[in-house]
Amino acid sequence: MEHQSTLERWLRGIALSLVVLFFMFPIFWILLMSLQTNETILRSPPSMVFTPTLNNYAAIIAGRLDSNVATMSIEFMRNLMNSFILSAASVAVSLLLGVPAAYAFARHKFRGSEDIAFTLLSFRFAPPLLVLLPLTLYFQELGLANTYFGLIWVYQLICLPLILWIVRGYFEDISPDIEHAYRIAGHGWFATFRKIALPLAGPGIAAAGLLAFIFAWNNFVFALVLASADKQPVTVGALAFVTASGIQYGQIAAAIVLSITPTLALALWAQRYLVEGLSLGAVKG
Amino acid sequence: MTAHADIPAVRPRARISSRYLPYILSLPALLVCIGILVPFVTAIYYSLQRYRMSQPWNRGMNWGENYLNFLSDSSFWHTLQVSLVYAFLTVGIELLLGLGIALLLQKRSKVNNFVSIMLLMPLMTAPALAALMFKLMTNSNFGILSYFMQVLGFPDFRWGASPSTALFTVVLVDVWVYTPFIMILLLAGLRSLPTQPFEAAALDGVPRLEQFWRITLPMLTPYVLTAALFRLLDSIQQFDIIYAMTQGGPGNTLMVFQVEAYLNFFQSTNVGRSTALLLILWAITYILSNIFVKHWLRLRERARGEA
Amino acid sequence: MSRITLENLTKRFKETTVLDGINLEVPEGTTLVLFGSSGAGKTVLLRCIAGAIEPDNGRILIGGSDFTDVPPEERGIGMAFQNFALFPHMSAFDNIATPLTARTLEKSAIQKAVDGVSRLLKIEHVLSHKPKALSNGQKQRTALARALVSEPKVLLLDDPLRNVDAKLRFEMRLELPRLLADRGATVIYVTQDYKEAMALGDRIAVLEAGRITQIGTPEDIYRRPANIDIAKLFGDPTINLLDVIPQRDASGVFATLSDQRIPLDDGYTEFVGEDCVLGLRPEALSFAESSKAVPVTVEAETPFNEKTVTLVTTLRKREILLSRPAGTPAPSSGSARMAIDPRGAILFDRASGNRIDPKSTASAEEAAA
Repeated sequence: MEHQSTLERWLRGIALSLVVLFFMFPIFWILLMSLQTNETILRSPPSMVFTPTLNNYAAIIAGRLDSNVATMSIEFMRNLMNSFILSAASVAVSLLLGVPAAYAFARHKFRGSEDIAFTLLSFRFAPPLLVLLPLTLYFQELGLANTYFGLIWVYQLICLPLILWIVRGYFEDISPDIEHAYRIAGHGWFATFRKIALPLAGPGIAAAGLLAFIFAWNNFVFALVLASADKQPVTVGALAFVTASGIQYGQIAAAIVLSITPTLALALWAQRYLVEGLSLGAVKG
Repeated sequence: MTAHADIPAVRPRARISSRYLPYILSLPALLVCIGILVPFVTAIYYSLQRYRMSQPWNRGMNWGENYLNFLSDSSFWHTLQVSLVYAFLTVGIELLLGLGIALLLQKRSKVNNFVSIMLLMPLMTAPALAALMFKLMTNSNFGILSYFMQVLGFPDFRWGASPSTALFTVVLVDVWVYTPFIMILLLAGLRSLPTQPFEAAALDGVPRLEQFWRITLPMLTPYVLTAALFRLLDSIQQFDIIYAMTQGGPGNTLMVFQVEAYLNFFQSTNVGRSTALLLILWAITYILSNIFVKHWLRLRERARGEA
Repeated sequence: MSRITLENLTKRFKETTVLDGINLEVPEGTTLVLFGSSGAGKTVLLRCIAGAIEPDNGRILIGGSDFTDVPPEERGIGMAFQNFALFPHMSAFDNIATPLTARTLEKSAIQKAVDGVSRLLKIEHVLSHKPKALSNGQKQRTALARALVSEPKVLLLDDPLRNVDAKLRFEMRLELPRLLADRGATVIYVTQDYKEAMALGDRIAVLEAGRITQIGTPEDIYRRPANIDIAKLFGDPTINLLDVIPQRDASGVFATLSDQRIPLDDGYTEFVGEDCVLGLRPEALSFAESSKAVPVTVEAETPFNEKTVTLVTTLRKREILLSRPAGTPAPSSGSARMAIDPRGAILFDRASGNRIDPKSTASAEEAAA
């Protein structure tokens, strides 16, 4: 590869530019839209020359949308809050449940452990509606419909398999001798778990948690089926937003930007671990 | 050696705790999941019933009738066809694109690393929101993509609103979101390949194109297979993008399994048909996931071995 | 109080039996070397004693009390691992201190104990380093310090010199016996290196395929190996093995090599005419002028530091290695004659591979003593 011809370098450069253009353009364009008024958005031909305005963001954050017809209130900030609550709480519960289980699966090859681990993994691949639709009926009866509790429970379907399988891999990477050494030195299994296994798997647990947070945040169908307006996260909220009449396009764009920024920021921050997490450890990042 | 004195007291406790410990540790996670298994069993039960929420008096077991009806139900066959076409089209395009980009970025350099990090962004965008973004960009009044089509000489290109272009539109969104996934997996695979065969081939003067076909591709096959199966599993169940873009429309153009089941359940309240549809989808994904897990485990072993 | 007794210890992993009914006794304050090739079960046996692995069957007694079901943290054992098993997120000091923190000692007492043991092992200057920043030799000493710091009465050392360089291994082989003797602990030391085994062990137990095939003093095992396999494991260069059939005439029992008689103990009378293997230690062979010596052809010579090894062939082209102190004169090529010290000659039964003891208490026995 050392001796590339000039032509080849050019072709590579062009191909790379096209790739970046294709994958970055939508985000870039929506960001531009979010900074424009309806008038500049509706110009034809579209132009990148305009006076940027933060009015769209101000309106969304204030929760009041002024259209040319009337003033209406939209609680998009509430959706954003819901997304935070649902994702953070789900990941916290998943870590609490999943990390000890992952440790058990990694360290103790007990009877049926592989089967159980695979059953949990299979949740990741089953059609979510298959579980969600009957669950709506149960939730009505149990009074769990449209509660954070019920939603967080169902969100375990997304977070738990992810955390279990990624963290299990990290625990397996710790040499059992290191734990044996600590126990032989006179410490009980729980002290060993806390002082040796947890710190050593720490980066992996953090990465799994972040990834689970991103997936929970990006989820759409769970909340669509199980949550009403006041518990809906941004994914569902934004859709309702689009179909609401009289909304300005710049404000939709601003809402989308606000909705995707947290996950993109987290992803950039944790990108080192992302590869391994995405493939459940099948490919090392 | 003060421990000697209390050995008899220690003995029974020690054995019990070490034997049951793993079960105790994994029990909470299992309990939560059992709560999820119950609706699965319920779904099987519903799928064997004549069950419309709007007609509670008419409810009763009809055993396999929901499934038998599918045989003569043209809309079922349409759903199966659209789902398969969607899945294979998206995964096929994403594989080709992903492999191409991975090859472009194979060499470690600042620019390449930066680009591969940039490409994470679409993947981290919620698919439903990605669909909304494209919806804005394909709006017939102001959408930038509609404008491009106009410039290119297709003034009537109506994207998601027309039956002839709706599939293209959702596939485009899927490709935008998920190509980076395949690219990242294949890039990691490419970079983990041993270098000796390539050095040997270079010494022997094997042309680069032949190196690709004879060495790179065969060695990359396990990664390609794993990535393709993983994506196929997701893609055949696609809901977010299609529902957010067209809700299965226009008409029934994009009625894939999960969208059809969702609308059956909530709009026509036909619980029996809806759950039967989902169970057929589940059967397909179950077979696929078993094949996938086999490949994936092998790769995982290898990745752990290298670490 | 710290005699180690193993009774019928058995461990299976799935289909394979790793430990097959081990019975072993290590008297208090002595060092037993567990010797065997890799995969023989040495490490598993050590882990069973430490409590890291639960045996399927049998009992582990320490000082006469049953420790089989006691969790590892309550056994009061010190152990050093072959791969060191240092805690990567802790400094060398904290690594060494872990057996003490478990006992909630005062800070100053911990400091004193760690300082003491690290001075002994010459690692005082690296105590603040993380394991990553330590050389292999320092890691090995840190692991050893961690095993020693709480002055345990039972010490398990799993091939601690395996992963260190040759120079350090040599130094430690000299240092360790004194270190262990000073502590008065009961030690089980695992190694694959016969020189280490001979240098460190009060007794050596040879483990092959999950069974103990011989147990005895280093001298015993070298002079009187239980079978051909053990004879081959001890000694460098390895013992020469020649197929022979003992014969007897008026002057006694003998074997033939290069048409020359090699006298054997008369106690071997029973094995006259049987298929046997004659083991000749290379250092029991020497060049000689005597007409009774065996005629050989010198093929090649390899000088080492302290000895020279010569490859010779007999009239029937059988290859034999001969080892002599460096600097002693010898023919470098062509024909020569080779004398055999009967004390380095061991007879084995060819069918079973077991050593054959002469029946009477004649010369061979005296030589071995």
